Amino acid sequence: MRKPDKPFYFNTSEHLLRIGRQKAGTLSELWQALQTCPDDSIFQHTFRTLQEHHFIRQGFSNDFAHWCLSACNEPVLAEQLASVDVREFTAIGGLRRRMVGIVDDFLQQHSRSGSNAAHEPFYFCAADIVVLPTPFSPDSLPGFIDGLKQVSVHSIHHHFIEARLRLHLMSNDFSQWLEEEVGLSHAAAAIERIDIYTNTMEGVRQQIATIVEHALN
Amino acid sequence: MNSPSEDQRAAVSNSSTDSLTEAESLAETASPGPVRPEPARADGRRLPASVLTPPPPAPSPHLDDYRNIIGDGPLDALRFLARDLKGKSIKMVNSTAVGGGVAEMLNRLVPLLSELEVPTHWDVITGGNDFFEVTKAFHNALHGSPYELTKAAQEIFLTYNEQNRERLQFGEEMVVIHDPQPVGLIRSGESSRASWVWRCHIDLSNPDAHVWEFLRPFVERYDAAIFSSQSFARQLPIPQYLFYPCIDPLSEKNKDLPDAVVQKICDEFGVDRSRPIVTQVSRFDRLKDPLGVVQAYKLAKKYVDCQLVLAGGGASDDPEGAVVLQEVKEAAGTDPDIIILDLPPWCALEINAIQRASTIVVQKSLKEGFGLTVTEALWKGKPTIASAVGGIPNQIIHKLTGVLVHSVEGCAFQIRYLLTHPDFAKRIGASGREHVKENFLMTTNVKRWLLLFRILDRAKSRRGFGR
Repeated sequence: MRKPDKPFYFNTSEHLLRIGRQKAGTLSELWQALQTCPDDSIFQHTFRTLQEHHFIRQGFSNDFAHWCLSACNEPVLAEQLASVDVREFTAIGGLRRRMVGIVDDFLQQHSRSGSNAAHEPFYFCAADIVVLPTPFSPDSLPGFIDGLKQVSVHSIHHHFIEARLRLHLMSNDFSQWLEEEVGLSHAAAAIERIDIYTNTMEGVRQQIATIVEHALN
Repeated sequence: MNSPSEDQRAAVSNSSTDSLTEAESLAETASPGPVRPEPARADGRRLPASVLTPPPPAPSPHLDDYRNIIGDGPLDALRFLARDLKGKSIKMVNSTAVGGGVAEMLNRLVPLLSELEVPTHWDVITGGNDFFEVTKAFHNALHGSPYELTKAAQEIFLTYNEQNRERLQFGEEMVVIHDPQPVGLIRSGESSRASWVWRCHIDLSNPDAHVWEFLRPFVERYDAAIFSSQSFARQLPIPQYLFYPCIDPLSEKNKDLPDAVVQKICDEFGVDRSRPIVTQVSRFDRLKDPLGVVQAYKLAKKYVDCQLVLAGGGASDDPEGAVVLQEVKEAAGTDPDIIILDLPPWCALEINAIQRASTIVVQKSLKEGFGLTVTEALWKGKPTIASAVGGIPNQIIHKLTGVLVHSVEGCAFQIRYLLTHPDFAKRIGASGREHVKENFLMTTNVKRWLLLFRILDRAKSRRGFGR
């Protein structure tokens, strides 16, 4: 462990939801729209929705899975889509291909499901994003822990989940800083392994703090 | 706060409440009227004296009053966003200064924006009875009622919009026009540096084609439009943003209440807090399906003990409401555990207390706008059973932030289930509150306005002056 050369700048991001031009009323339409909708729509319904529903511990992973279950009554497809971990992807293109592939495979095996009308349409949305600073820019590990405990869950989401799309790395801002600036590789790896789909964002915050406090001690 | 002048209060009043539900008709800012003769409860007992006259209006909260609710981070974000807009101002224009959900919302929003040093000016359009009749007809037509759009109606609409356009000043950097009545004011935007936004509060998912085709060319000239639900949006060549309706957590309807106050109000209404309480808060209106709620209660009561509270209003002022109330009384019969409360519109505190005392809240509407009564219940951490209609599915994620039902039988079953699984009920109640905190609070909408202002302002700067 060493004193960091660079502080960690806690930022946060705020989002304004835009209603897109596409919607899907059947699984076939979903499959088509998944291929053509803008990248920021895929981002909204996968990465961003985790922030909107950060307080839910179980049963909510992405909007596509939720719609397949609640509006289309297709639990098999819903589970398959829900199993996609957004953190496996450093670019939206790969995530889009995975989603399209899952729906395509399902429709190949259940061709009649493709044309069944959903209870309600799926509206493709996107978000305009503004990144904001916070008052926290610690240059020490105790300061980092203090900032971590005080920033909003939006900040946690920004650094822990959205970061990999910025970094184009299978990592997050916290792990990157701990490894590169402080030399805590084990803590960095442990943080990267936290399961965001079985924790609330508050739970994720507490786990990160625990890992770093353990490393500090 | 720059609120409409007395002259401007004599304005066309077309309430846009339809998509904002009856929460607005029970708004604490409803104009007080003369003291009515003491009303009886629908079950024959007298309402307490405390509800017979409107209370004085509560002072508007300040931004720091929200700190304990939303936390330092979100409050700091608001201040940072506003600081970026220093020196710029907003104009809000709607059709009425008093009554209706839009006016109630602006009464809260305008002072908060101004407190953030984003001066916000509120103007109200004026017009005669002929304009009122045309815009009311437009309102109904946009909700799907058939309507013959005449040349005369178009002329009246255009004439009053032009008169208001000549009267009003538009020196602000962002101008927000609320709902269809003043949509024609966009003509002033053509020579303006400002960003012009059309905020639509009504359900446009199934409009009369002729009326929409008449209004659409105006809407398309705005820089952006805002809708309350994805399903209300239209195919437009401009960005369309989603601003959910919101509640004020510090209002009389939603603020925290000491348990003693809740107890006192329950005692006054004869509600027994030692036994489970199932409550629906709604006007006595067929679309709220109070008879369906009574049926669901009776089905559930075969298995679990509970009381049913139906708290609403409108029966005294609405002939159909009076008929519905009578039907509800007949359905309730002599059951002492069905408590029917026909409350005046200013009983926000009483509604608050009843919601807080409830074990479960129900909203079994047949049709709904957004459903702010659901938002209120979720904010109070109440496990909520609601119909999957209108904006309710945006608020209730089934079995996560509440439960959605589609029938009397479904409602009855969920009442039984929630009353016998208190841990699950508590969990979804807690998640429901967090969902409101994230998406449906007044401070979230303040943030949305600041974000929109910033995004449009920067886009305009990049493009250079001109539309």
